[in-house]
Amino acid sequence: MADLDTIELVKDIEVDKYKYGFTSDIETDYAPKGLNEDIVKFISAKKGEPAWMLEWRLEAYRRWLQMDEPAWARVSFPKIDFQDLYYYAAPKSMANPKSLDEIDPRLLETYAKLGIPLKEQEILAGVRKQGEKSTLDDDGNEVVAGRVAIDAVFDSVSVVTTFKAELAKAGVIFCSISEALREHPELVKKYLGSVVPQGDNFYAALNAAVFSDGSFVYVPPNTRCPMELSTYFRMNAKNTGQFERTLIIADKGSYVSYLEGCTAPMREESQLHAAVVELIALDDAEIKYSTVQNWYPGDAEGKGGVYNFVTKRGDCRGRSAKISWTQVETGSAITWKYPSCILRGDNSRGEFYSIAISNGRQQVDSGTKMIHLGKNTSSRIISKGIAAGRSDNTYRGLVSAHRKATNARNFTQCDSLLIGDKCGAHTVPYIEAKTLSAQFEHEATTSKISDDQMFYCMSRGLSQEEAVALIVNGFVRDVLQQLPMEFMAETQKLIGISLEGSVG
Amino acid sequence: MVVQKTVAELNYGLSLPHRKMEDWRWTDLRQLVDKPYPPRQTVVAAPKDVERLLKSSPFAKVAGSRLVFVNGHLSLENSETGLVQQSKGKILGVATQISTDEPVITMNAAFATDGARLKISGTTDTPIELLFLATNADARTIATRNVIEIEKGAAATLIETHLGEGTYLSNSVTEIRVGEGARLDRIKVELEAADAIHLAHTHTTLGKNTVFNDFTLTSGAKTNRQNGTVEFKGQGTEARVSGAYMLGGKQHADTRLLIDHQVPHCTSREIFKCVMDDNARGIFQGKVIVQRDAQKTDGKQSSHALLLSETAEFDAKPELEIFADDVVCGHGATSGDLNHDHLFYLMSRGIPPAEAKSLLIATFVGEAFDLIAHEGIKEALVKFSNKWLSQHRRAS
Repeated sequence: MADLDTIELVKDIEVDKYKYGFTSDIETDYAPKGLNEDIVKFISAKKGEPAWMLEWRLEAYRRWLQMDEPAWARVSFPKIDFQDLYYYAAPKSMANPKSLDEIDPRLLETYAKLGIPLKEQEILAGVRKQGEKSTLDDDGNEVVAGRVAIDAVFDSVSVVTTFKAELAKAGVIFCSISEALREHPELVKKYLGSVVPQGDNFYAALNAAVFSDGSFVYVPPNTRCPMELSTYFRMNAKNTGQFERTLIIADKGSYVSYLEGCTAPMREESQLHAAVVELIALDDAEIKYSTVQNWYPGDAEGKGGVYNFVTKRGDCRGRSAKISWTQVETGSAITWKYPSCILRGDNSRGEFYSIAISNGRQQVDSGTKMIHLGKNTSSRIISKGIAAGRSDNTYRGLVSAHRKATNARNFTQCDSLLIGDKCGAHTVPYIEAKTLSAQFEHEATTSKISDDQMFYCMSRGLSQEEAVALIVNGFVRDVLQQLPMEFMAETQKLIGISLEGSVG
Repeated sequence: MVVQKTVAELNYGLSLPHRKMEDWRWTDLRQLVDKPYPPRQTVVAAPKDVERLLKSSPFAKVAGSRLVFVNGHLSLENSETGLVQQSKGKILGVATQISTDEPVITMNAAFATDGARLKISGTTDTPIELLFLATNADARTIATRNVIEIEKGAAATLIETHLGEGTYLSNSVTEIRVGEGARLDRIKVELEAADAIHLAHTHTTLGKNTVFNDFTLTSGAKTNRQNGTVEFKGQGTEARVSGAYMLGGKQHADTRLLIDHQVPHCTSREIFKCVMDDNARGIFQGKVIVQRDAQKTDGKQSSHALLLSETAEFDAKPELEIFADDVVCGHGATSGDLNHDHLFYLMSRGIPPAEAKSLLIATFVGEAFDLIAHEGIKEALVKFSNKWLSQHRRAS
């Protein structure tokens, strides 16, 4: 029985194969453990923030105190003791470095180990290091990697942002949000919290109170951002929550593509990651946001791993704006994440492409919300869930059209693939149509790799592993194609690691 | 947080479900049950009222035997027992197999006054009708509880009709058990009075190698909530659960259907066709569970909505919960208005717009009727649907 063997193979996938699980021995500056107004003030002071920002944080903190943790998601985990966490951790040597040379070499080493070349000359060679074999090479296609500007975030602070000068020439502001608060307070004040308000939900409120860093992007009108922007998040310090906040504004007629990658060391305790991402697209602007999330998923028994409780939302505020989310979720012990689009402007468009792979004891509850408010708005959702091991993989989504959203259009496709009989795949879509001219279509399927498919591939001389790889890659193809070139290769590799044994 | 009880809740001495409860997010009974509906009221019906209601049943000429319940009590003089032997005793209290934390059942357990208990053995082609009538009187709760058992190898067609006049809340709980190798075709037609509230729960357990076909037409009552649970207890079983909404005015209809595959090698199909006109709101919440052991399950669900007016609304939550890997499951949900190309095609053939629309709506709903095997019943439903369409016909 082919499928039985597959199960056997998949069973062995230990997450010890998580290759980013090392820790870096770097001296770290902590805020005192626990959370209270003083900690919020401490973080704000550390960042040298204006007074209104501190007020804004304190307001969020007070709201957070009134809120309960959401319990509706299909995930279970022990209650988090929010007083037993550090809310701020920064590498000690990091007092406003002027250039890369001032940065702790061990930090750079960490990033090099992760395959993130920070130095611009390295980046010029592409995201992959020279000589490294691309997974696409087998096809004979030479991948030409573009240049990518990176904002690297280590625990609570942004370490370095590359290519700043070149971006500035185009008028693009790309920096850490702390820096933006100092250099461009008017922009931050205008847009921060306008998509995800302080009291939006439990984790968003917590983030608003204690967020320590993140990326800020502003693309001026009629500008096409000259290169891909990217943030790399790394959690290192123990018992530390990571709370970053990303704010991206695409002004009229502009375009930006943004990539996000994340890893964390293997630790026995679970780590909390509660980020907020806000996207704002004005008239005719387009934002493409791609994530490859590979936080430590915990070991095979579900010990450790990152709790990824993220609020991501985009607002198509102008006419004909477009926001596209692409996510590849392979890591995290628990994922609670619903990148959404508010389609406010007439003719605006939202897209959500997702691959969620769960293995071991991982729990994924992810999906999207497409809220149609403007006329002639359209949205598209393609979600591919793959569950293996003893994991649970849930798609949860909402598509709604308000009364004035005439001619709203949505197409949703949620497919789940089950590998093994100990895992679960669930689909929980909500559809709300309040106008007759809204055309909504939703379809979902759940299946396993069929014996026919396997037989067909193997009868053509493919080995069992190759056949599974081919079928899984075919299964996620619609989403893979949406990823920027730089991420496509990495993702194909990641899928391989996540389902090692069944994928060649 | 202490929530103040509504007048209806105080009158019942029970809590009503509200929209913070996931299953009731679109149907807030605390709001929709707007006044007290005192339970267990004895209302004597005038014979001419009963006669008028009996005549208005779409199945007046189809059913062979008929049990008529008037205002929550069996009325023998109006029933035609024919094939059915008279039942003895009343079925009250909570049946063991049904969960009790369901608000509709809790209410029923407290207030049920009567109900049918049917045990069917052997095979019959003639439909048996259970007819529930409510006559015009003061606002009140009418609760009935039925237990229907189809014995091993038996086959039957059962019609359940709800008709009424005036203001009332009807609560109907039905427990169905289909034994090994048996077949049940069940057709429920909900045509309650325009000012009525209809709450229902049907719990069906299916044995080995059974066939269960269920169809529900929802067109009456201002507020409507119907729960259905179908449990697969034996292998080789097939269930088709379908339904149609024909709603207008300010009607609100919510169906919560739970298909629970507990054993391997079973097939389930759900198809719901919902038509909403004026300010009507239709809701379909369907959940298919495939338990760990239920390998080789084949489950498909679809819900389609047709909105006929700018102010109509459709909400859907088609859910899949799958724990077995060797299954084929899927669901589809669509919502929209009439296809303009289809309309154009018909009009270009010389069919007036109003008629062309009626034709398309009739076809849309008709797909759900097609699953009914009994020709007489299907004809009666088509007749009803044509009548509804002629009342909701307009060109624009």
